[in-house]
Amino acid sequence: MADESSMGSTSQAALLLKKQLAELNKNPVEGFSAGLIDDNDIFKWEVLIIGPADTLYEGGFFKCHLIFPKEYPLRPPKLKVITDIWHPNIDSKGDVCISILHEPGDDRWGYEKASERWLPVHTVETILVSVISMLADPNDESPANVDAAKEWRDNYPEFKKKVAKCVRKSQEDLL
Amino acid sequence: MLRQVLDCMMGNCLKASGADDVSLLREGAQPNPTSDPHPSGTRAHDSLPQADSEIEHQSSGGGGGGGVGGGGAHIYYPSPNVSRPANQLTEEEQVKIAQRLGLIQHLPVGEYDGSKKNRECVICMIEFVIGDRIRYLPCLHIYHTDCIDDWLMRSFTCPSCMEPVDAALLVTYETH
Repeated sequence: MADESSMGSTSQAALLLKKQLAELNKNPVEGFSAGLIDDNDIFKWEVLIIGPADTLYEGGFFKCHLIFPKEYPLRPPKLKVITDIWHPNIDSKGDVCISILHEPGDDRWGYEKASERWLPVHTVETILVSVISMLADPNDESPANVDAAKEWRDNYPEFKKKVAKCVRKSQEDLL
Repeated sequence: MLRQVLDCMMGNCLKASGADDVSLLREGAQPNPTSDPHPSGTRAHDSLPQADSEIEHQSSGGGGGGGVGGGGAHIYYPSPNVSRPANQLTEEEQVKIAQRLGLIQHLPVGEYDGSKKNRECVICMIEFVIGDRIRYLPCLHIYHTDCIDDWLMRSFTCPSCMEPVDAALLVTYETH
């Protein structure tokens, strides 16, 4: 069901995102670069994550789309990695599964605490910092890519090989 | 925008819960004769065929950022990934939301007077201006009333310290 949002809150979202874009342009953050997919749409961002040093993903360049809802910051954006990537917490379509991007609130099964879910204080920067730390440190408790999670646990050399292949491909894609 | 918080608009939703009658949820805000019709009212009509002039009135009130219940048509968020208009809520969800509205009503409000350490509302990232309506959570974090009320209807958690507000409220009651 589509959420309704008033004009007021839509422009609040746009304002907040514009502010972050300006700030990131002025003071870039190490580890990623961020811009808009289309200069006329502040809700659709393109982000390039630089594979963090001392991880299997080092040297890789992972293009992502960060799509914000009109209700931001009350609801989380969706993050999709466009570049091929092999990671336990990124599914085959590239959708990133981390708890801070899950819809807010208390679910009745208590699967995830409200405090682990989305909070309206998250920004492009804090989201990407979390994603970069997820690259370094996969969470195999709730894997989005079960095969990658299994391989990460049981056949690490093969996991490493697959990631290395993604890293090489990401470098070629960039050229 | 944030100083447009109209007592009457805020009061309407909260009074509904104060009456301890969940059926009031279905009706939402009372028509507010002082508010102007707003373009977003038309959008409320699109998504809610049964919408009447009351919805239009409420969404025009929500134009400044929305009161409790969110801007636009009164859509509620009983649990993650669930959003529905009041008339589609289950009984259990109505009770949960009515309780939530009641609890939010009990959180103190005030006017920003410049004496607090927090200088900006971390939800909208806009600096507080003297006279802004602010709400205090039990953990003593403060936010614009508009910003935090909309959030608390989705998740009863302080965005800054992640403390569950209901647990903190209980502690407050017990110690007083």
